[in-house]
Amino acid sequence: MSDDTLSMLANAAAAFAKPDSKRLRAARASATGFDRKIWREMAEQGWFSVLVPEAQGGLGLALDAAAAIAGRIGYAAYPEPFVAASVLSTAALTRGDNPALAASLLDAVACGERIVTLAWQNDAGEITPQSTGVRARDAGAARMLSGSCRFVRVAAADTFVVAAHVPGGLALYAIERSRAGLVIETEAAADGSASARLVLRDVAVSAGDCVATPACADAALAYALDAAILCSAAELTGIMERVLELTFEYLRTRKQFGKPIGSFQALQHRAVDIWIQKELSKAALAAALKRFDAADATPQQRSLAASSAKSRAADAALTVCKQAVQLHGAIGFTDEYDLSLYFNRALVLAAWLGNGATHRRRHDALSQSLALSGEAA
Amino acid sequence: MSYGVLQERDWNALADEEFRALVRADFEAHYPQALRYAPRRLRWHEIRDWYLRMAKKGWIAPNWPAEYGGMGLAPAKLLIFIEEQERFGIARFQDHGVLMVGPVLQRFGTEEQRRRFLPSILDCEHIWCQGYSEPGAGSDLAGLSTRARREGDHYIIDGHKIWTTLAQDGTHMFVLVRTDPDAKKQDGISFLLVDIKAPGITVRPIRDMAGHEEFCEVFFDGVRTPVANLVGEENRGWTIAKSLLTFERIFIGSPKLPEYGLAVLENLARARGVLGDPLFRDRFAAVKLDVVHLGDLYARFAATLVRGEALGPDISMLKIWATETFQRIAELGLEVAGDYGGLSGEVSIGDADIDVLSLFYKSRVPTIYGGSNEIQRNILARQVLDLPS
Repeated sequence: MSDDTLSMLANAAAAFAKPDSKRLRAARASATGFDRKIWREMAEQGWFSVLVPEAQGGLGLALDAAAAIAGRIGYAAYPEPFVAASVLSTAALTRGDNPALAASLLDAVACGERIVTLAWQNDAGEITPQSTGVRARDAGAARMLSGSCRFVRVAAADTFVVAAHVPGGLALYAIERSRAGLVIETEAAADGSASARLVLRDVAVSAGDCVATPACADAALAYALDAAILCSAAELTGIMERVLELTFEYLRTRKQFGKPIGSFQALQHRAVDIWIQKELSKAALAAALKRFDAADATPQQRSLAASSAKSRAADAALTVCKQAVQLHGAIGFTDEYDLSLYFNRALVLAAWLGNGATHRRRHDALSQSLALSGEAA
Repeated sequence: MSYGVLQERDWNALADEEFRALVRADFEAHYPQALRYAPRRLRWHEIRDWYLRMAKKGWIAPNWPAEYGGMGLAPAKLLIFIEEQERFGIARFQDHGVLMVGPVLQRFGTEEQRRRFLPSILDCEHIWCQGYSEPGAGSDLAGLSTRARREGDHYIIDGHKIWTTLAQDGTHMFVLVRTDPDAKKQDGISFLLVDIKAPGITVRPIRDMAGHEEFCEVFFDGVRTPVANLVGEENRGWTIAKSLLTFERIFIGSPKLPEYGLAVLENLARARGVLGDPLFRDRFAAVKLDVVHLGDLYARFAATLVRGEALGPDISMLKIWATETFQRIAELGLEVAGDYGGLSGEVSIGDADIDVLSLFYKSRVPTIYGGSNEIQRNILARQVLDLPS
């Protein structure tokens, strides 16, 4: 998308989402970890339909638009799950093969009325669609889903789109949280958000619940995961921006030995090194988005791009946060100082959808296989 | 007057990829295979034939405007030209005449100076060396103490320059000298051109750790150079010296050398049988991503140049990342080499002949030259991060 449109969107996002630690702390203390009212306001910004094609009633923008929003959400440390309950879900829903169901879910997502996320992962370190721990059992005309999914980012979701192994491959089913047989166990995440482990015991589903059949489910989920991985990298980049701002301001104003501590060369050089990590993350993200959005990008190339950006952003964000604490001294480790909000968010996002090491390995494996097949990486 | 040979065509009128293909084809057809990715800076007698061919072809000065006998390449084309040189591993010659003296004379020199010096740079008759660093002025370059005092139509130079690349092959030198010892240190410096054969100049090569003689000391003992060889105004040399550090700074951050390092590392790992070893694989994957992201960062700065905008002080991060990434690659290579890491020159490892140490040695220097990486960090801290001094 054009640089002008992108910067308009980024400006609008910046005007909307401002760091407000009082609100963040209140949200953190709530049961869901975020604020439904703010979620609806985000919907009014049109953010939840940026990735939905115009033919399906959305804005039809490329992924760099969603990444720009995610970056600002990172900067302001918003706990509202934009990536998990908008990027991830809309990218999958728009690639399914049940237009009627997709339309109603996308509408409900777009207006902020319903929170929809994906459940697809069985164990830590998995980033492929096939890793779901849910299986179908057909009993006559009825289909029952059983198994479990973990690391579902939004425990408070109204609807879970669950990936399940079915005869013929993988399928995606939309299951409301109240559905019989679905148990939602919450796990507290470091940033105050609630992550979920879903346990399904003979959850009855029908064709009407099926978002994507084996004809397209794997591809839809793979696309959605890579899109969300890139947007989580963008969110981490936004976090780094804000953490560096806080840290540099502290270095300019905090005095010891009669001088601002930022005048000491040892600290200046550390500050430069973490700033370089942020700049590298930004450059890697921008390049990856371009490759991801290229018209001729193959699924493998999209995964390669996503892993390139996330491997850098995840490791860089943790490096930046760790050094930021060190540069602040003891105040940096307190809960009261805002750095804690960013550090804990970075821990969650760096770990989610594959951490730095996981993506480094995937990047290595993919670049080897692309090199063997002679495709440009 | 006209300078150099006439260009065959207006290169900027070609599409980028067409130009790239044309340059690549020329290099691949004519550059000697044996000189690709030379393990050290080559001496003039080793690389002369190639650069005389480039001179004859009108390709010796890709960065100069066509009116001065250069290729007149716009930034995008110039980046392509240099990327292709690096991709093919074409050895540099002592190119300070093309990279520095030419652009300086075109901007700050007199018409007479341009006529006198530019043609001999274009036909490689003059080989220029840079006289900047001194034993007492390294990172603190403005603290230099080589003196020049005016005597009639001449300056008399006394002092000592060091780390002068390949001065053994040089015919001329541009030197920063102190002409006003009482002024604030940046304000008393002038930019002088000197004939290396002038009486009173002694060149002494310095043998480096790798056993090569790539740089020299140059002693000045009452050396006379005409006042006509002063570039710009007296005591305004610092501005000229600083102006040289703009465009060129992107090249030190090019990903091509680290990419070549990765290829050597991969060959080495294959020869040592560790290519599939998970420990090696993880570290290799990490440096590979470091290089990919260097490329992404380089592309951002290249785009700035192509848009016709000036590079800012943030370009320093590219130098830091490029040179330190190259070091990590070379260090991993040394570790993978095991016992071979103590053998110099080409070593036969299994079926392969690999020069382990030259890559390692080569990686040690770029973090020092062109403003050490510590100086680059100081620049970023003050000028970009706005930290207090």
